[in-house]
Amino acid sequence: MKTMASSLTSPKLSSLSSPTLQTLLCQKPPLSHLLCSSFVSLPKTLFSLSCHARFPSQYQRCCTFTVRSQSENGTDAARRYDFDLFTIGAGSGGVRASRFAANFGASVAICELPFSTISSDTTGGVGGTCVLRGCVPKKLLVYSSKYAHEFEESNGFGWKYDSEPKHDWSTLMANKNAELQRLTGIYKNILKNSDVKLIEGRGKIVDPHTVDVDGKLYSARHIIISVGGRPFIPDIPGREYAIDSDAALDLPSKPEKIAIVGGGYIALEFAGIFNGLASEVHVFIRQKKVLRGFDEEVRDFVSEQMAIRGIEFHVEETPQAIIKSADGSLSLKTNKGTVEGFSHIMFATGRTPNTKNLGLESVGVKTAKNGAIEVDEYSQTSVPSIWAVGDVTDRMNLTPVALMEGMALAKTLFQNNPTKPDYRAVPSAVFSQPPIGQVGLTEEQAVQQYGNVDIFTANFKPLKATLSGLPDRAFMKLIVCAKTNKVLGLHMCGEDSPEIVQGFAVAVKAGLTKADFDATVGVHPTAAEEFVTMRTTTRKIRKSKPAEGKTDSGVKAAAGV
Amino acid sequence: MARKMLIDGELGKPSEDDKNYDFDLFVIGAGSGGVRASRFSANYGAKVGICELPFHPISSETIGGVGGTCVIRGCVPKKILVYGASYGGELEDARKFGWELSEKVDFNWKKLLQKKTDEINRLNGIYKRLLSNAGVKLFEGEGRLAGPNEVEVTQLDGTKLSYSAKHILIATGSRAQRLNIPGEELAITSDKALSLEELPKRAVVVGGGYIAVEFASIWRGMGSTVDLVFRKELPLRGFDDEMRAVVARNLEGRGINLHPRTNLSKLMKTEHGIMAVTDHGEELMADVVLFATGRAPNSKRLNLEAAGVELDNTGAIKVDEYSRTNMPSVWAVGDVTNRMNLTPVALMEGTCFANTVFKGQPSKPDYNNVPYAVFSIPPLSVVGLSEEQALEQANGDILIFTSTFNPMKNTISGRQEKTVMKLVVDAETDKVLGASMCGPDAPEIMQGIAVALKCGATKAQFDSTVGLHPTAAEEFVTMRSLTRRVAGQGKPKTNL
Repeated sequence: MKTMASSLTSPKLSSLSSPTLQTLLCQKPPLSHLLCSSFVSLPKTLFSLSCHARFPSQYQRCCTFTVRSQSENGTDAARRYDFDLFTIGAGSGGVRASRFAANFGASVAICELPFSTISSDTTGGVGGTCVLRGCVPKKLLVYSSKYAHEFEESNGFGWKYDSEPKHDWSTLMANKNAELQRLTGIYKNILKNSDVKLIEGRGKIVDPHTVDVDGKLYSARHIIISVGGRPFIPDIPGREYAIDSDAALDLPSKPEKIAIVGGGYIALEFAGIFNGLASEVHVFIRQKKVLRGFDEEVRDFVSEQMAIRGIEFHVEETPQAIIKSADGSLSLKTNKGTVEGFSHIMFATGRTPNTKNLGLESVGVKTAKNGAIEVDEYSQTSVPSIWAVGDVTDRMNLTPVALMEGMALAKTLFQNNPTKPDYRAVPSAVFSQPPIGQVGLTEEQAVQQYGNVDIFTANFKPLKATLSGLPDRAFMKLIVCAKTNKVLGLHMCGEDSPEIVQGFAVAVKAGLTKADFDATVGVHPTAAEEFVTMRTTTRKIRKSKPAEGKTDSGVKAAAGV
Repeated sequence: MARKMLIDGELGKPSEDDKNYDFDLFVIGAGSGGVRASRFSANYGAKVGICELPFHPISSETIGGVGGTCVIRGCVPKKILVYGASYGGELEDARKFGWELSEKVDFNWKKLLQKKTDEINRLNGIYKRLLSNAGVKLFEGEGRLAGPNEVEVTQLDGTKLSYSAKHILIATGSRAQRLNIPGEELAITSDKALSLEELPKRAVVVGGGYIAVEFASIWRGMGSTVDLVFRKELPLRGFDDEMRAVVARNLEGRGINLHPRTNLSKLMKTEHGIMAVTDHGEELMADVVLFATGRAPNSKRLNLEAAGVELDNTGAIKVDEYSRTNMPSVWAVGDVTNRMNLTPVALMEGTCFANTVFKGQPSKPDYNNVPYAVFSIPPLSVVGLSEEQALEQANGDILIFTSTFNPMKNTISGRQEKTVMKLVVDAETDKVLGASMCGPDAPEIMQGIAVALKCGATKAQFDSTVGLHPTAAEEFVTMRSLTRRVAGQGKPKTNL
């Protein structure tokens, strides 16, 4: 902790420190919510459970009989329950749904596993993936890692270091974990201040209105399942030597040489993190390109930029086995050969819904092949009194989407206001280095859905890079409907992309046109102004919809400036 | 004859007389507005000439350079220095993220200045190429109006050229003003501040505008001691009062000494540097005193009055909504008209001019919802109305949503600096009238918000947009709780 002494300000890392009450990451509720809380006591069990013991279990059993026949969202109006709502899983979606349900007047309980940075069947923690094993710790590591690039840049701006800046992994981990402890405390307080009862333990559904938490039974008018997802590692020989993203966020020491298997956003984010912190990074992807589902040009651009920064990509390589050698180092055997000498091998090969051992089968909640809970547009499962939000439903696995689903569900259930989450124009980001921000359709999707689209792109060296001398570039793209002039998609890869894209997401969501973009004056000098100064069409795609059977009418010359 | 026709208002109609002019358009001044107008006019088929003074980083009556203020003495070099200065804070922040930095971290001002000069030289070349690629003829020298359709260019060697033009566009920009106090010659203006030989160890910055706070941030970030002296209670008059207070707090938090409600009464040269004496009797010692006390239009040496072009009392050229002066053949865009002195606005005015005059498409620049930024550290960016402006204009109530939070990076770095965001909403229509932010990346974040405001987006449309997590920007779409509701009328104006 020697680095701490050098700072003028005292660290605000403990959950007991009040000056940072306003610090909220995943959610920033009104300040008053936090100010009235003490933040001092974080007992394992916040509420006495004794009062629930008086509900005899046979009472519940006899009543479950009639549940299915009830009309109003599968509830029995005449019956009395311990709670109006019982939520299993206190991550982004569960906490949001519970808080708002309570605000709307419902009596709410929520259960969550004990805190741990690594999730398992018996560990989790209030805050969920986003706060403890996802967005937040990931971004903190990205911040830390990005300094390496900034030191390099700063040389071009006249800054010089007597010795190369060195990174101490354990300081970062300690400060990161202190922050996570603080956040999980804040989340508990958010629940407490909303009058949501927090029950620590593993929830399991016993019948459509009953949840068992470590042997205690709770009845509820509605049950929400919001247990999230977990990293998935394929079953290959030596998989016990592999780590997943949970572990990668909390390693005891920095990897010297790491193999990252996978080409999705998690793989790219960790590749950037470890590369910045001076690990040797190899990324193994099964396909030709990273980030399946993203715009093709963005896919090419980001891997090119990452490769320039020193990450080695192994494309079209499928892992077959991990071998541990006598010296303790790991080798990764793929269909193309074996790469040796890794200190760590990380799998970022997808995530799987946490639906095992929840009692879903017995109560009749239908799940998809991958284990995701099947829900309708209102997040209702096949059992009318049971609902599900967030990653466990595998719809669009993003924190703000889980928040939206949780909020919509609270309105549906307790505000008499049936609300569907709206999945159109949801922006998303990849915190790779450089990062990506996007909203709306990819070029491929736009062509498929609209046929005729105009594409505007810019690929430029940012002002900062002209001074730093580094080979950094930025890429921007607008996809415009040729017929309506509406902006269908907006993509960027380059510094600050996620921050830049948020405002444009409001514009895209509102259905604004390219003319609206052009009418907006730029903020000078920024990178973002490029999005409102794209005057020249890069290409015009003219493809009538297959149904109309017309052929491509050709690409017209770009309009002059 | 040609003159008569123009005054008669026959402008724009094709005429035999057109052939008698040397140029369809002659532009005086090759900065943002002039270059844009001439390029676009040439693209629309006009024969265009442009004149500009010889290049030098520091402007004077006889020195300027293609690219103008923005490229040579404004936005670009300023932002380069802000980038350079930002690393100062970044290095502090890095430590808690696990970075061990040597005790001695050097900052080499000369190196940065050299690279900055290289970059503006490069840009100056790019601008010249833009003009020649567009077929615009560039003359180096000082231009002046010799008549409604006559421009005289005095070249470096003193020879004079004279050209006739159907239209003349004045785009000569503006220049920093100096305070009229004893010892004023000891102070510098922003031109010089961007080209100092040495980094000042102690700087006194005079003024409360954006230029003042930007230079204060630049030098402070590089480790200098900075005193910021300004007349009002808060810096950045004209901005939202709440945001002004945030900027003041942040400048102070970064170690700048603020002297509100203070004027300089004199400057004196001493053994230990320049002594700046305030009207409170304070004596501030400095290596450099910067006057950032406003800019004045470059309209003096253009022979405008003699030719009959009207100026206002600040020296700005008076123009109508199409940028036309009282003389129908003479037009003006950019800072010389002192409308909204921003590069992208000059570009817009230049584009509208070209559309109006040479594309047969009369276009008025639209000054509503123009976003802009102050590159202080951390920066401020705004679009639309401030709370005060909204209250002045409102018929009904105004809803104010604010969010003050610790940026995620600070949770580890320990930096005590809040990001503040604000939305000003019309209670009746739900329209977002104004947005502002002070915090890292604010200018980048505000651009997209500006598109939404430009098109009259409502608060409901903001709310229906899903956040991008985890970013600072997502706060703009997750402001659920009303901070306050303010009655629209009868609120006294503040005079902070």
